[in-house]
Amino acid sequence: MSKKSLFISAVIVAAALAPFGFEPKGHSIRVLSTALLFAAAAQSWNIVGGLANQISLGHAAFFGIGAYTSTLLYLKLGITPWAGMLAGAFLAVIAAIILCIPTMKLKGHYFALATLAFAEVLRVVANSWETVTGGSVGLSLPYVNPSFIDFQFASTYWYYWIILVTLCVISFVFHYISVSSLGYKLRAIRENEDAAEVSGVNSFAVKMIAATTSAAFMAACGTIFAQFNYFFDPESVFNLPGISIRVAMIAIIGGIGTVAGPILGAIFLIPLEEYATAAFSSVAGLAQLVFGCILILAVLIQPRGFMAFCSRKKKKPQNSDVGAEVGQ
Amino acid sequence: MRTPRLLEAKDLSVVFGGVHALDGVSFSVGYGEIVGVIGPNGAGKTTLFNSLVGLQRLSSGSICLAGEAVTGLKPHQIAKKGMTKTFQNTALFPDMTVRQNVMTAALSHSVQQEAFEEADEILSMLNLTPIGDADVNDLTFPQKALVEMARALATRPKILLLDEVMAALNPVEMDEVMRVIRFLIQTCALSILVVEHHMRAIMALCDRLLVICFGRLIAEGTPAEIANNPKVIEAYLGQGSGDADKRDKVNRHAQN
Ligand SMILES: Nc1ncnc2c1ncn2[C@@H]1O[C@H](COP(=O)(O)OP(=O)(O)OP(=O)(O)O)[C@@H](O)[C@H]1O
Ligand SMILES: [Mg+2]
Repeated sequence: MSKKSLFISAVIVAAALAPFGFEPKGHSIRVLSTALLFAAAAQSWNIVGGLANQISLGHAAFFGIGAYTSTLLYLKLGITPWAGMLAGAFLAVIAAIILCIPTMKLKGHYFALATLAFAEVLRVVANSWETVTGGSVGLSLPYVNPSFIDFQFASTYWYYWIILVTLCVISFVFHYISVSSLGYKLRAIRENEDAAEVSGVNSFAVKMIAATTSAAFMAACGTIFAQFNYFFDPESVFNLPGISIRVAMIAIIGGIGTVAGPILGAIFLIPLEEYATAAFSSVAGLAQLVFGCILILAVLIQPRGFMAFCSRKKKKPQNSDVGAEVGQ
Repeated sequence: MRTPRLLEAKDLSVVFGGVHALDGVSFSVGYGEIVGVIGPNGAGKTTLFNSLVGLQRLSSGSICLAGEAVTGLKPHQIAKKGMTKTFQNTALFPDMTVRQNVMTAALSHSVQQEAFEEADEILSMLNLTPIGDADVNDLTFPQKALVEMARALATRPKILLLDEVMAALNPVEMDEVMRVIRFLIQTCALSILVVEHHMRAIMALCDRLLVICFGRLIAEGTPAEIANNPKVIEAYLGQGSGDADKRDKVNRHAQN
């Protein structure tokens, strides 16, 4: 076993054992689970945001689709949330295709705005289509006898482990894509789309694969979010700052396009946010202000994210004169 | 029935908001031929290349590659059918090594492992193996030009479009790139269409020349014919000086 895989195995084992340091029904384990769930969501975002460099500000759309699909199937038809998770992922793929056919060609902030608008539309629909979604009241999951099939557990440990497995799966897929031929094609497109195309890369198909994979995983995170919290409404799952911007922020603060970035970002940001909310609750808005300032500081100190501190390959200056002896 | 030429372009036109960047250009390229495209700055040479490989939409016209219509196809489809180009100011993938740049283009027809092997073959053919693992940002101009060509070759082209690969090179480096181009024609069963400002290079390299001016094809012929064509002399040197004087200048260009 290489040093690297040994290290990764050790981290996973440590993460799996971590809950035993916390009260099974305490607040800390919930915060930690939430952090890992957002790490998983940010990792999903990272597939399209980091690898394809399409900065989406509408990933709440897929998150919400996942939450609503599994919960409605469970509430109305009694279908296990595990199957609902697959159904949600499937619907998210369809939504991603519908969203991306017209928008994939858009660059930078145009794409960001288009995706943002898409999620906002879904939020409005979820709010107003009361007969199906319950409208602004939201949906609550009934407490049943804890069982795997109902995706309900007495101890937070189980949620934590399920979230950890999800995070590992998404991170593995992210890593696999980034070293596979798909990853090379995505990098080529990200760096120069015209050059990639004339080199035989079907940029539309490649970006579409990234976008749909990302959407499917994001929807799975939405299902877990619903099960973990037993309740959600349009404002919590289709939320712009709460979901869309937060997952992008986590990935960017941690290190966009890197596998560890979203994990570091979430472990830093989610507990910090929690702590700021608790510590500065006396004055309304103070917590958000403090949190915002810390975010700005983090971006100022290292715009390329935490992972930039650990990257061994230092960016070399452009046009350096290595090899200048040729023909001089 | 006549056998089609490798590349047949008919009546290509590109209009940018009222400006005719290309205006009814027709020409063909045979198998194994090196054809040069010359013309003043802004004549439409790059626009011609971009429209051939599908990066630029045509306003009208049609393109046939090896007897098959490729008009309106996406660049990656045209690349897979055997036509690709290099970029005027080089457009390598900056976060990849030389080898990865070339390998990525080979992915259009091979799985990753084979693509790496193919990239290594191309690199060794072009004597680039020593810089295979170099960061492309660290390369010199001539190296970048060669890597651009290597990447283009990795798509297995039937015809390669070289857009000023020799700009910014000194005479010694230019000779090296020309040697490589000739070598490719001989070994790879390839046709080449090349845009170049250096008259010496283009005259020495090409079987035939196309002269473009303000988007129109104003002359076509062997290098010797072109060098003495009054229209070309006019286009290149403008009005004002005497005819003999102009011809003299073009010829001097050609000999440089
Ligand atoms: N995307 C574009 N939009 C508008 N006009 C364009 C565009 N691309 C090129 N042009 C115009 O089309 C004309 C032809 O440009 P092109 O780049 O093809 O010339 P060129 O022959 O390659 O010149 P050079 O020798 O400088 O490379 C120019 O007048 C240019 O300004
Ligand atoms: Mg040009």
